[in-house]
Amino acid sequence: MRIFVTGIGVISAIGRNVAENLHSIKSLRTGIRKSLEYKLMIGEVPLSNEQLVQILNLPDEDFSRTTLLALPAAKEAWGNNKNDSRIRTGLISSTSVGGLDRTEKYYSHSQTTKTNDHYSLMIHDNGSTTERLAEELGISGHISTISTACSSGANSIMQGARLIEGNKLDRVIAGGSEPLATFDIKGFHSLNIYDKEICKPFDEKRMGLNLGEGAAFLVLENGQSISITGNKPICVLCGWNNATDAFHQTASSPDGKGAYLAMKNALAKAGISPDKIDYINAHGTGTGNNDLSESMALKNIFGNTLPSFSSTKGFTGHTLAAAGAIEAVYCTLSLVSQAILPNLNFSTPIPQTGLVPETHFRSLKIDYVLSNSFGFGGNCTCLIFRKY
Amino acid sequence: MTKNIDSSSELVTPDYSEFIPAMDRRRMSHVQKMSIACALDCLQQAKIEQADAIIVGTSMGCCINTKNFLDKILDAKEGPVSPTSFIVSTHNTIAGQIALLMKNHGYNMTYTQNSLSYEQSLVDAILCCAEGLMNVLVGGTDEEEDSIYNMRARLKDDKILETSGASFFIVSNTKSKTGAVNLIDAGSFGLVKNTYETAVEFLQANNTTAHEIDIVLYALSGKSSLNELKSVFGAEKLFDYQEITGTYYTNSAFAMHYAIDILSNQPHPIFAEVKTVLVYNNLIPENLGLILLGTKNE
Repeated sequence: MRIFVTGIGVISAIGRNVAENLHSIKSLRTGIRKSLEYKLMIGEVPLSNEQLVQILNLPDEDFSRTTLLALPAAKEAWGNNKNDSRIRTGLISSTSVGGLDRTEKYYSHSQTTKTNDHYSLMIHDNGSTTERLAEELGISGHISTISTACSSGANSIMQGARLIEGNKLDRVIAGGSEPLATFDIKGFHSLNIYDKEICKPFDEKRMGLNLGEGAAFLVLENGQSISITGNKPICVLCGWNNATDAFHQTASSPDGKGAYLAMKNALAKAGISPDKIDYINAHGTGTGNNDLSESMALKNIFGNTLPSFSSTKGFTGHTLAAAGAIEAVYCTLSLVSQAILPNLNFSTPIPQTGLVPETHFRSLKIDYVLSNSFGFGGNCTCLIFRKY
Repeated sequence: MTKNIDSSSELVTPDYSEFIPAMDRRRMSHVQKMSIACALDCLQQAKIEQADAIIVGTSMGCCINTKNFLDKILDAKEGPVSPTSFIVSTHNTIAGQIALLMKNHGYNMTYTQNSLSYEQSLVDAILCCAEGLMNVLVGGTDEEEDSIYNMRARLKDDKILETSGASFFIVSNTKSKTGAVNLIDAGSFGLVKNTYETAVEFLQANNTTAHEIDIVLYALSGKSSLNELKSVFGAEKLFDYQEITGTYYTNSAFAMHYAIDILSNQPHPIFAEVKTVLVYNNLIPENLGLILLGTKNE
């Protein structure tokens, strides 16, 4: 069975929609800037909650930014799709912050004034942010939230494909949303893996990651659904896998075993050999540990004939639970534009591996694209997209 | 006899030293310890060395670790903070640590959809089995924490007794000697308008009817009406599992455990001659979780 991608939507530090994101990538323009609030480099979506509420024409209520970022991306992907009783439709979103952005506000507030903001405390859980999104899209039934740290977005897309393949659903809108949270900024800073400058994925002198925020969604459909919707396929999602590194709670193993297994099994699922892959959108966070471990896994899969690869985190920052979804949209853009996406701020290869990422937006015949996403808990996911 | 829960009840805690090394144990929060002990006990009972997949449903995840890190940030103001509770604050810490302890490199997933987190994990476990995986470790787990989440406000119910709990199972695609019951199907339905209609359709899809269900283990809250449930299934079949578990978002996993006890211990002292049990989780009025179980021979 073929799983068609028929809709894409994205909001990130480099654009409010697909066209703006692609334009920034083509122009090699990063969205990472110095934040006055945090005094760190972050990839912020330059719209306040109030502005998002206004743009989205939403009622005056206390939304989590997780929902406010998800909505423009989900609506862009959903486009003119309509609910139809003949098409079993589901919504799968991913987030690790959930309503924590509201909890942070309430919780810090309560330390000084001891007031109880009951509403904010009701939307702390991740699931409620997805339910609010489903309400706006008019979707009921299969509404699901996945939270596997930084691989969440890729997992939600994988689950969409599995539910369609398993004949549970015909059409799924799948993706993820993550706002910046003080919790995560302080957390990654406390781990000493936060680069003071803009991150340098796969560079010898990389000093860590920058956090970013955003959301992205894909509409996935089976052939039966397409015959009703008349939607035109953008590309095909043909391979997916999730595997566990089982090495350390936060660090990746030296040989990237989990990453290796996820790529190997996703290639098997797609029924192709590694040499068919034309471009890899790497996880490439810019931390010492991730980029070395991922490079080792890439070498173990592809040997000496590694296809063109890059990390796009130098544009967006690491958007955690949204990263896999944002990068899945970028993979579809690579297929549609028939071009390799660039890696920013690279100058010197890592001595142990010598891998050199692509640093320009370059035209190339592209049939297959592979995307990696890895998270805390050793959670590794790989997706493969094919040209339609 | 089953004793109903009340405010004087204490959580049953096993001797965790049997399951978790001392070094790891000291660093773990309540939800981590409960879940890991359950998961490992489950694998031992099923005599399985390695699961092919690990799936966890948890609404609040590691919320005590989350609260602890929030406290540290506030206390430290601009100063340095220790990352200890941050790195174990993600929802998938539980499934990840089970894999880490077992050195398991397989599929690892975490669902967090408030009252439907466990049912979504079961739906995935059934899908994994259909895809050819042999043994899937699946569980539902949540710990009580009321300073960062107000469950009473969310459920519009001040009378609930908030508790904690973890229940884990092995779902297998092949019959085994240790197999207890037949997991017929599971369903997760969010923002549904008519929960009873949805339940009837779910039963239809599984070639059965409300009439054929012997016992319904249910959870309702707030405005949900018990009368309608009585009219669909019959009052004599209904049993409120929250009377013994108290309220946490994944307590339907406990109900599934209770259903397995009933089905695999026939004739059961309270529920005799039972062949099928439906777990009817309508804890949040617009969300419906359904788990259909039958005796082994069915």
